[in-house]
Amino acid sequence: MADKYLVEPDVEFIKEVVGLGGDTLKKCFQCATCSVVCPIAPENKPFPRKEMIAASWGLKDRLVGSMDIWLCHNCGDCTTMCPRGAKPGDVLGAVRSYAISEYAVPKFIGKAVNDPKKLPVLLGLPVVVFLVLGFITGLLDFTPGGDEIVHSNFFSSWLVDMIFVPLAAWIAVVFGIGLKRFVNDMHENAVLEGKTDKKKLDIGGLARALFSILPTILKHSKFTECGENKDRATAHIMVLYSFIGLFIVTNIFFVVLYVFQIHGPYSQMNPVKWLANVSGIALVIGSALMIKSRMSKTDQVSSYKDWYLLWLVFGLGASGMLTEMTRLADIASLSYSLYFIHLILVFNLFMFLPFSKLAHFVYRTVAMAYGEYGNR
Amino acid sequence: MTENKAAPAGGSILVVGGGISGLTTALEAAEVGYEVFLVEKNPYLGGRVAQLNQYFPKLCPPTCGLEINFRRIKDNPRIKILTLGEVEKVDGTSGNYDVTIKLNPRFVNEDCTACNECVDVCPVERNSEFNFNMDKTKAIYRPFEMSFPMRYVIDSSVCKGSECNKCVEACKYNAIDLNTEAKTINLNVGAIVWATGWEPYDAAKIDNLGFGKYQNIVTNMMMERLAAPNGPTKGKILRPSDDKAPESIAFVQCAGSRDENHLPYCSYICCMASLKQTTYIRAQYPDAKIYVFYIDVRASGQRYEKFYKQIKEDKNVFLIKGKVAEVSEDSGSGNITVVAENAVTGEKIRQEVEMVVLATGMQPTTKDVKLPADLKYNEDGFIINDFEKGGMFAAGCANKPADVVSSNQNATGMALKAIQTLVRK
Repeated sequence: MADKYLVEPDVEFIKEVVGLGGDTLKKCFQCATCSVVCPIAPENKPFPRKEMIAASWGLKDRLVGSMDIWLCHNCGDCTTMCPRGAKPGDVLGAVRSYAISEYAVPKFIGKAVNDPKKLPVLLGLPVVVFLVLGFITGLLDFTPGGDEIVHSNFFSSWLVDMIFVPLAAWIAVVFGIGLKRFVNDMHENAVLEGKTDKKKLDIGGLARALFSILPTILKHSKFTECGENKDRATAHIMVLYSFIGLFIVTNIFFVVLYVFQIHGPYSQMNPVKWLANVSGIALVIGSALMIKSRMSKTDQVSSYKDWYLLWLVFGLGASGMLTEMTRLADIASLSYSLYFIHLILVFNLFMFLPFSKLAHFVYRTVAMAYGEYGNR
Repeated sequence: MTENKAAPAGGSILVVGGGISGLTTALEAAEVGYEVFLVEKNPYLGGRVAQLNQYFPKLCPPTCGLEINFRRIKDNPRIKILTLGEVEKVDGTSGNYDVTIKLNPRFVNEDCTACNECVDVCPVERNSEFNFNMDKTKAIYRPFEMSFPMRYVIDSSVCKGSECNKCVEACKYNAIDLNTEAKTINLNVGAIVWATGWEPYDAAKIDNLGFGKYQNIVTNMMMERLAAPNGPTKGKILRPSDDKAPESIAFVQCAGSRDENHLPYCSYICCMASLKQTTYIRAQYPDAKIYVFYIDVRASGQRYEKFYKQIKEDKNVFLIKGKVAEVSEDSGSGNITVVAENAVTGEKIRQEVEMVVLATGMQPTTKDVKLPADLKYNEDGFIINDFEKGGMFAAGCANKPADVVSSNQNATGMALKAIQTLVRK
């Protein structure tokens, strides 16, 4: 910072960060308590003090492309110890949210995801898509007969995959575009601020680093270094593992369906089904715990972006489990309705994944990999 | 403005608190002819200033100024000093207050010559609050070398009383009466000035700064006593764990001040106090390294800024922008490592030093226990002056955190306010 630097504040950026839950940022008086009490900040150029001044000055470019905003796990120790009530943990959360919208194109989708007024549109979109495609293809049958409840008789698996396979590709493309910019920005920022010993970015090295940090992520070892919000790690790890479990289940059943031509519902004795059930329950419990924790922590800022994701994940798990339970209880109409709701929520998760807070799993993973690669 | 606020029959002024502000108010009012009662809860006058080693920025000993004030009191028959006194009740309104004051027993009368023979025979020891418990006195003691009034006092909470009686037997002047009881007096005054002062913020409440946990972390007021010639170390700055002369010292600014979790306000004096204390260390240990960790140095006004500039030129004083937020102790050496982020370079600093001084701030004595009078306080416990209502005024640090010079100016102003209350027709 000793060099001459012309500050070009981006006032809009400041306003947006404030709107995303960073409303306390102007209280900061740069005492640097936060950088010291942070249990996971590195020794060299620790966060979040420098992020606080950058946010306050509207130095958007120093923040959205910084790996440090992602190395932060929102432990909350900084917020607890802050002498001004400036809540650096929440400010960084808001900056991350901004960064996600910045990298995910087209940007208007990101804006809609962060706007509570657009929620009906977000939820209405899959309904329209399902009905229109179902009507055109005839794969949606509102009067599925039969003695047994078979969800694919109502909402054909063909229709599901016609929608969700392209959505999976969509996720990959949006993240791909975002990450390309993000990785370059992150490297440029790290070189500028002296946070890396690498001059040139080597993607191979970054990929290798990605593998070496996987255990850290899977064990949540950074998260558990936190002081204040340590208890959140359990709920978070439950949700992470349930998503991994459900991802595995979905892929296995995809293969079973298309390769072996075996249609669901599958037997409860099937080990894959066990994994599905355990994951589903973990998802419900984990997300419920996170909701409870956010509701009880009054000193932590919880904005719409947080609630949207938490309730979406909870709804996803709950509607999924209830669909299965009502099927087993043989309540056809309820079970089919719940399945429809479940698919609406899955659509939301997929469609808006790169734009919502959930995108953190990609950006944080890549940032942590870069940190490892650049010897942060 | 037709209300008659005049005091009956000339009227007198009650000043509560015998620190530098109270002394000033009392003297300024008395020297223009008003009768003043000065109540002090300690057995001596001088308050916090009496505990200081030197004033900033002139670096002269406060005892010098106190002595002048004590001389003026002695010369002025209009001032009545009531030490060991506490105001219990205030009734009435501006111009006419009835005040109840409890006078706790000193057990030593005015025949005391300060010969010290009682101390030599006293078998009981007590922690010296005056020296922040860094040493002990006997149960009968002289508060400090130039206590005013120059009379010994007995700490009744530890004295064994007449069953011991050794001091009574040793006293050649019949100055000790162990059966003295507390008494209550009533005063009628026209105006009251509250100069109830401040106390150092309890550093043990600042969890992350290790005071009370690690021996070699002291407060700035303890440093004053360590550096004072009449202090527990006779003026030699030694660290508590092993009485070693420290070769490196860190000052932690804003220890509790400007912190919503402790004192939300700036205590005003700590920056200058620490800069001043670097000169104490410099004078005794020219090679010692001194690290001052600050948020920003508040040395306001021409004279303080000049002082700050002088300190900055010292090659062995390192001023680092960044608040210390973590400390640890090396159990072997007793050295302390302070951790801060240098906010200019963005590097985390782990500085090992032999001694740490926490620049703790001031908290009004009225923070937790309110005065038995109709007064208004701000949320931090400082008394708010209601000039509209008049009659009672707060001076010095009872009103806001202040240095000695501002306290004196403020106290002089409040003397005038009190006088106006008496003469206003």
